[in-house]
Amino acid sequence: MRFRFCGDLDCPDWVLAEMSTLARMSSVKMKLLCVQVIKDLLDEDIDYDKVSKLTSDAKFESGDIKASIAVLSFILSSAAKHDVDSESLSSELQQLGLPKEHTTGLCKSYEDKHGALQEKLREISLRLGRLEAVNWRVDYTLSSSELKQVNEPTVQLRLQAQDPETDSTQTTTVSITADKFRVLLTELKQAQTMMNALQ
Amino acid sequence: MLLVLSEEHKEHLGFLSEVDAPVVGEFGRIAVEFLKKGSNPKIFEGAARKLNVSSESVQHGVEGLMYLLTESSKLMISEVDFQDSVLVLGFSEELNELLLQLYLENRKEIRQILSKLAPSLPHYHNLEWRLDVQLASRALRQQVKPTVTLKLHLEDGAKRRAHVLQTDPATLQHLIHELERALAELKSNHCRRILRNIK
Repeated sequence: MRFRFCGDLDCPDWVLAEMSTLARMSSVKMKLLCVQVIKDLLDEDIDYDKVSKLTSDAKFESGDIKASIAVLSFILSSAAKHDVDSESLSSELQQLGLPKEHTTGLCKSYEDKHGALQEKLREISLRLGRLEAVNWRVDYTLSSSELKQVNEPTVQLRLQAQDPETDSTQTTTVSITADKFRVLLTELKQAQTMMNALQ
Repeated sequence: MLLVLSEEHKEHLGFLSEVDAPVVGEFGRIAVEFLKKGSNPKIFEGAARKLNVSSESVQHGVEGLMYLLTESSKLMISEVDFQDSVLVLGFSEELNELLLQLYLENRKEIRQILSKLAPSLPHYHNLEWRLDVQLASRALRQQVKPTVTLKLHLEDGAKRRAHVLQTDPATLQHLIHELERALAELKSNHCRRILRNIK
């Protein structure tokens, strides 16, 4: 059985198994749990005390609590990843055996935060060596030990980027003469035109 | 398979016959705690004061118990063998029974701890990927070149390293094909025969 929210693949067995665990909670409590799980996916702090209060009525053990958070996380992030609209999500979850009230609650939370979830997923997508800061300074060299009258402008450029393998910030400083800098600027402007054409 | 205890070990464990059964039970519990979380010398002082003996004998007793438990768990000796090995120490029936219970209850967990001590290669932690299309470069415009960028996170003990790799889709297909062949090898007759013979 292919499901859109699983990316047109089969639903994982563990998700199917946990549907019955979710059905043990009341639909109101499950909607509140969804809100907490979405907060966790958006990197805001999840309130574990609230979660344990919500699940205590259904007498969940710690394994059940972890399982229900995991399955809700999977469903919500996977649906956002494959850009599934909330009606298809609703019908697919009901096919998996989630009761109607639970499904409605879940899809309502999903619809509310659909945009925010996709933004967050876009942010955490793989990017190598992000540029963090650019600082520049223009100097004018008057003279040096080699030549008495130099009279040349230079640009000092400081780039702070993230190292792709260690994720720590690396600083690179370069000084560029006027001609080289003109070439650099032209090439970068051409790249920028191309990027704007794609927007 | 019988456990052969060295003279020194027997001497250290001999201390246990001089104290009451509940105290031995307490020592057993402390020994298991130390195996799980590391030893805490302060506990020896407290126990030594209460029993009116030197802290060194308490330390030897607990360490002797720890060694007995790890050696028995390591070799996975049966109940009968354990009882025969302990018989040589000349303890009372009650004490032998207590030690046997201690061994049987904690055997599985001690084996789990011991399994983590084996040397290991860096293993998989996480894989992030990204699909890009190169449209232009400084040297050539109007290109269409798809590439897949992978960031493989590996874990080696406490250290985490990330490897950044890049490939074109054809090589990626080949890689997937080779890995699927490796998995399929598990189902071949040769592998099945070997797995059947390992109990």
